[in-house]
Amino acid sequence: MVDKAIDAVMDAIDIETYLVCRDPNEGKALALKLGQELNLGDIDIMFEEFDGYGVRVRLRKYIYKPGAQYRWLTH
Amino acid sequence: MAKKILCIPLDPVHDVGIKLIRNQLAQHGHETELLSPDLPMEAIVKKAAQGKYDFILVSRTLGYGVAELLARFNDLLDAAGVREVSKIVIGGKPITPELAAELGFDKGFGEHSTIEEVLAYIEGREVSNASIGPKRSKRDIPAGHSYKFYNPVVERLLSEICDKLIAWTSTKTSPGIERAKLREEILASTDEKKRAALEVRYLSLSDDAIRTSKTKNVFPKGVRRVSNTELDALKDFLRRSRPHIPSTIQHNPDQPLIFKFLGSGCPLMDITHGKICERWGVNGFLIINPSWEARYEGLLDGYLTHENDGTITSLDNLRLIRQSLDANTLLTVRAHRGLNTPETVLLAGEAGADLTKIDLVYGSLGAGTDPQRLAVDGVEAIRLAARYNMPFDIPGNDELSGVPAWKTLAGLLVNVMLGVKLGAKPILKPLFCYGPHIVINGQMKQNFVDYNAAKIFALREIIDCPIWPGEPIAFMTQTEERVQSANSTSYHAALAATLGVDAITIASTDEAYSRGPISITSRIDSIRAVTDAFRFMGNAQIAPTRHAEAFTEDLIEQITDVLKEVNAKENLPQAINAGILGSEEDGAYPGKFGAGSMSNEQ
Repeated sequence: MVDKAIDAVMDAIDIETYLVCRDPNEGKALALKLGQELNLGDIDIMFEEFDGYGVRVRLRKYIYKPGAQYRWLTH
Repeated sequence: MAKKILCIPLDPVHDVGIKLIRNQLAQHGHETELLSPDLPMEAIVKKAAQGKYDFILVSRTLGYGVAELLARFNDLLDAAGVREVSKIVIGGKPITPELAAELGFDKGFGEHSTIEEVLAYIEGREVSNASIGPKRSKRDIPAGHSYKFYNPVVERLLSEICDKLIAWTSTKTSPGIERAKLREEILASTDEKKRAALEVRYLSLSDDAIRTSKTKNVFPKGVRRVSNTELDALKDFLRRSRPHIPSTIQHNPDQPLIFKFLGSGCPLMDITHGKICERWGVNGFLIINPSWEARYEGLLDGYLTHENDGTITSLDNLRLIRQSLDANTLLTVRAHRGLNTPETVLLAGEAGADLTKIDLVYGSLGAGTDPQRLAVDGVEAIRLAARYNMPFDIPGNDELSGVPAWKTLAGLLVNVMLGVKLGAKPILKPLFCYGPHIVINGQMKQNFVDYNAAKIFALREIIDCPIWPGEPIAFMTQTEERVQSANSTSYHAALAATLGVDAITIASTDEAYSRGPISITSRIDSIRAVTDAFRFMGNAQIAPTRHAEAFTEDLIEQITDVLKEVNAKENLPQAINAGILGSEEDGAYPGKFGAGSMSNEQ
């Protein structure tokens, strides 16, 4: 077993959530801030949809990209 | 040994699940009794205490207050001494092993549990994966298709177009063809000196980037060798990992095979994704190479990984992928893209691939290769595909550039006739897509069914040929929204199933997300959606409206007109360069890679 759970992620972590906000720009800023607060560093917003009350978002953080050394394989 | 089992629907309404399990247990020789769903708890406990059962199976949907109810039920069983002789098991949609233990049960089965798991527990044995689900089998896609033409006008036109093309190419060769011949000699030779001399000749026909990588071990940006440590780790991973309760996508054997793309750039990632997709029932994969490979004369050697899209075409990479996947998983290797088409088919054949991908028209219009060069290379590649007994699929993805469907379908049919004349087994791949020309001209204003269906009807009125819509289905209908993307794929898959096509290529739910590689969870999303769609459709039909008939008639007439124009030219490359199969106005541009590189054959 790998030491850390994050080492077992095959490729990416996706986070889906709903952030309460006043407009799409605030939603986007909050989404990026969420990635920082969760210690994921820079994350990508895959999808965002503001509906007047908040923003439904899907965020992605790649743990491994192709060509990397995968710890789940070589641990 | 048969067990004595009491089945209790401890739920006022839901007793379907426990009835199914009871039937299965009975079929496996166990002695079962099923109580009615409305008995008071005390009456159930009395029955349980009197019967001396080996197992008591309780079915219950969870909700507010149910935990307390189940705790009381367990207390009553305890008090009646039932737990001393019987194992108490709970099943229900939200039940997990942890929750079952927390509630005081010996075992719990939930939404994703299978009958086999329940049986294995009752019978005190390990779950046997081998006994679960149908065994994987490899379907021969062209089998059952005669390649008989039903439209004599189209048949005559295609025959004349292809005869002229074969004659035109017969006196020509290219560096790509010569390298394929050298590669074949290298692979066949056991004489080190001869091999070295052949390698020198191979490199003399290759671009600098390929020469440098082979002679100085300096690779194009982002490329590196896979280490022996990584290869050993992969072997270990494959040895210790097994598909847990593998599933199938098709609800009946007539539904289409499901293919997915592999081409992350890294063969190790491709293989691990592939193994997981196999578990979820995917029948085959298409290996996609990097775009830069198309521009270079010559291919790299060895186990190679790449940081960007597209897995490098080397014999070692292809063999590694082929050998790591299940023997019954179909594998096709894209060959038509770029200057190495014949050699790619050769390597695919040597690596044990089942199919290859060749389209002389799309490869020229959508992938940047000079039409003359690809015509010469493509004819040789189709001959090689025939020699290796690899059917070749013909993707109509030029439609995505804006080419009208009838021009794309005409191009596909030229490839089909060429394949038939050269002794190969072609497969038509019309797009199920919301292409730019369709958006502008409104053929899908009413629905996404009629025009996609019309493409299949039109092709079937022309020839009996295998049809494999792609590539992937639902192209340009999917968004970055995960649920919408999965839904859109599944609706198009349902249409494909209803039309009785041979196979489909499906996307992942991050298909429309272009800023990073495909993730394994996104692959599983779309597979699950298609599995549900196939279950939903079963053997039922989606009924296209009367507009599909009109579209079909129009398409056949338009295909015929395009083929007449192509036939009026001296040869296929001339027709492609003239824009007959897709013009600059449509959004298609003939490629330039390899222009002027042909020579007369010695």
